[in-house]
Amino acid sequence: MPRASAPPRRAPPSQLAPLAARRPVPAPLLPQGLLERLLAVAMERGGDFAEVYVERTHSTSVVLEESRIKSAQTGLVQGVGVRVISGGKVGYAFSDDWDEPALLRAASTAAMIAQSTGAERAFPVSRVAVPSHYHVPTPLSDVEVALKASLLTRADKAARAFDSRVTQVNAAYGDQTRRIAVANTEGRYTEDTQDLCRLSVHVVAQGKKNERRTGMYGGGGRVPFTHWETFPPEEVAREAARQSVATLGAVDCAAGPQTVVLAPGWSGILLHEAVGHGLEADFIRKGTSLFVGKLGEKVASELVTVIDDGTVSSGRGSINIDDEGTPGERKVLIANGVLKGYLYDSLNAKLMGQRSTGSGRRESFRHLPIPRMTNTFLAPGNHHPEDILKEVKRGLYCATFGGGQVDISNGNFVFEVSEAYQIEDGKLGRPVKNATLIGVGPEALKNVSRVGCDPRPDPGMGICGKNGQSMPVGVGLPTVRIDNVTVGGTQVG
Amino acid sequence: MDYQKLAKRIVQRATKKGASQAEAFLEVGRQSTVRVREGQIEDLTQSTSKGVGLRVVVKGRLGFAFTSDFEPSGLERLVDQALKLAEAAAPNKLNGLPGAKELGRLGDTGALYDAAVANLPGDWKVKAALEMEKAGRAEDARVATFNSVGAGDFVSEVYVASSEGMSGGYSGTYVYLFAMPVASGDGQLQRGYWLDYKRFLDDLESPEAIGREATRRAVRMLGARRVKTQQVPVVFDPLVAASFVSGVARAANGNAVHQQASMFASRMGQKLAGEHVTLVDNGLLPRGLATAPFDGEGVPTRRTPIIDRGVLTHFLYDAFTARKAKARPTGNAKRGYNALPSIGASNLYLEPGQKPPEQLIREVDRGFYVTSLLGHGANPVTGELSAGANGLWIENGELTHAVQEVTVAGNVLKMLQDLDGVGNDLQFRGGATGAPTVRFRGLTLSGE
Repeated sequence: MPRASAPPRRAPPSQLAPLAARRPVPAPLLPQGLLERLLAVAMERGGDFAEVYVERTHSTSVVLEESRIKSAQTGLVQGVGVRVISGGKVGYAFSDDWDEPALLRAASTAAMIAQSTGAERAFPVSRVAVPSHYHVPTPLSDVEVALKASLLTRADKAARAFDSRVTQVNAAYGDQTRRIAVANTEGRYTEDTQDLCRLSVHVVAQGKKNERRTGMYGGGGRVPFTHWETFPPEEVAREAARQSVATLGAVDCAAGPQTVVLAPGWSGILLHEAVGHGLEADFIRKGTSLFVGKLGEKVASELVTVIDDGTVSSGRGSINIDDEGTPGERKVLIANGVLKGYLYDSLNAKLMGQRSTGSGRRESFRHLPIPRMTNTFLAPGNHHPEDILKEVKRGLYCATFGGGQVDISNGNFVFEVSEAYQIEDGKLGRPVKNATLIGVGPEALKNVSRVGCDPRPDPGMGICGKNGQSMPVGVGLPTVRIDNVTVGGTQVG
Repeated sequence: MDYQKLAKRIVQRATKKGASQAEAFLEVGRQSTVRVREGQIEDLTQSTSKGVGLRVVVKGRLGFAFTSDFEPSGLERLVDQALKLAEAAAPNKLNGLPGAKELGRLGDTGALYDAAVANLPGDWKVKAALEMEKAGRAEDARVATFNSVGAGDFVSEVYVASSEGMSGGYSGTYVYLFAMPVASGDGQLQRGYWLDYKRFLDDLESPEAIGREATRRAVRMLGARRVKTQQVPVVFDPLVAASFVSGVARAANGNAVHQQASMFASRMGQKLAGEHVTLVDNGLLPRGLATAPFDGEGVPTRRTPIIDRGVLTHFLYDAFTARKAKARPTGNAKRGYNALPSIGASNLYLEPGQKPPEQLIREVDRGFYVTSLLGHGANPVTGELSAGANGLWIENGELTHAVQEVTVAGNVLKMLQDLDGVGNDLQFRGGATGAPTVRFRGLTLSGE
């Protein structure tokens, strides 16, 4: 079952990424001649299509605990995957050994899926230029680790200074510089470098009688390291600390249907779970999603327009190319409540007579590409966020969020609310603990009764899990009101 | 290549270049998975992989780097990077690799490797997967399709070497079957999920049994509806109980406890549950998926009761946290080559009780039998649990209609006290965490 996790709000100031300095084009990951030889071997048993995927990822992570840098680490993971498609069958083999014989072995292993003897054929490829949606002039892997570590000590100090009830601060910084190259038997050869970084701060606050509350905040994206000048670690830390302290003294959440108002930003996980996964073409083709056969039908309130956009500047889920070499796209999935389209990778697109929407993504060379979301958000509406709140007599205001999960067959989705307040007569009341929202995708979206004019992306730390593969994604939502949502809690009556 | 020697050589290289201590953790594996669809292979993946992580201590500072590049230049870069990273870390006199005292004598794991799995004929997995699909369809005509059905195996080798005298390795095998059919009826689609995952081929359930059970689980959910918001006795099936158990054990993480960031902090020795509740982490469980002679940093594994007949008795530690908390390492340093060790459970299970699961259900007048949960489980700091739930309604001790779109919520500490029934059906289904059917006196269910 797909699930997503991570929290909160506030836009990464992506427009601040310098556009001027472009990185020089690095040497190819594998020589073109070798790529072409691998394609020829992959097709030697008569497959219909073959693709070579090359990946080299440098990563760094630094962890702070108990006010000290506990550890700093870096790593290199590199590998080559060869995929062969024959009819509806897929053969895949990968190797983290870049020796030519090892790679040729992988190609001939993948070729076994095809049954005929096939003639020797050549598959020349030529490089295709791709657009650029992120601009990171200095690779994150080149930035000194000491600078990365200093973000964490600054965060720790700010979180502890925020309130004396803050008892624990754990902070982590991670980045990666991921280079990929994709060559296929259709002659396309594309390359991309995808830098990505993220800072997160977890805080525990302790109140009276051993009461503990937690707060978590963070952000990042496909941004240069200078991002932290405009999105400083102190701000991240104070928000995490604020959450933990704000929820001290929270009361048990009432169980049962309620009117809920979702704060803007990370609440976009609602869309990701309620509709996004159910529109991924693998589930559609196999007939396992409740959105099968609903194109053109009304599946949500007319206030609802849902977009998946891989081209958001510097977005965490943005991609110049997907992991099959197809350029990222902006795609309207639901327009004014009407279902407009699905998310396709190349395999499902081919089998369904469609074209890829640039949604074929994979965690690494160890995995097959599958249809995935990029940045998924709800288009803004006309309602003023303050008016939305004012109109609610009794309900629940959901301020910050944990993760969510969906069962795409019956459409049941949950998402966890980590900071929530009672609404009484249009005003925020006491904090509430242990709330979870549950619903069925289309029904919940039909109950959307107000959409705010305050669109906001999440701050850039979402992770989406599907079939055991984790991907960075973005979500976004303006303030939204949904009527009659089942709220999980412990208080009955 | 002799990987044990290679690990030692990397350690020597690091100490020669200035590390006061060094440790190499090396993993090598090969694996294969096949999925089928409508009587045909859908996809087949094969791979080999390897990688090594190097941990060094320089003047009380910790550095770590990993690579999958085993060329001499790649390994040289690995050593240089780990040393360089140590410079960026803060000095901590608690830093250090497990010493001779902590490394100690290895316990008896029994066999971890099954030649029958390592030498599975190429088409075994294809046949098994096809058989699962066929049996799943034959079980009930309402199976519309499969989201996924397949089989896989892998063989892995682990080697650890350290400047403190650790030198060891072991290899293990794994084989698994999984089926996820989707049933259609009553205007609904409902998914079922069943699987088995073992080290030994002989322990693995038959593909036919997996296919049939997956279908039964999908079909019985058809016609699911909400129920009213209320407090009722709730029964977790073994799959759901296992996820509850792993949530409980996260709070026994020695580091979180030391940081006072666990619901178990300052509760050591307290009676958290009835006598019938015993929660164990056992790195030496015979034929267990997580059974190993030593953990991710060479410390011998052992059996550690976390909750012993209701009393909180032990936390889980790696060497660093044990030193910090002045406790004994429990052999619970978990890791892959690409990460530093962190505390985690090995084979974790709730010991079975006497009652068959049918009896636990029969004793409930009106309640909810939960067969799958949606969400991330309990918060180990606060103990709060609030999750989506699917399952079957219990009326007069009998399973009646299917239930969906409801949540169950409670607090783990309260739930442990309320745990009033433990079944005799302990099973390890999808991994190294196992549980029998369990029953809670009362949980809040949120629905209509």
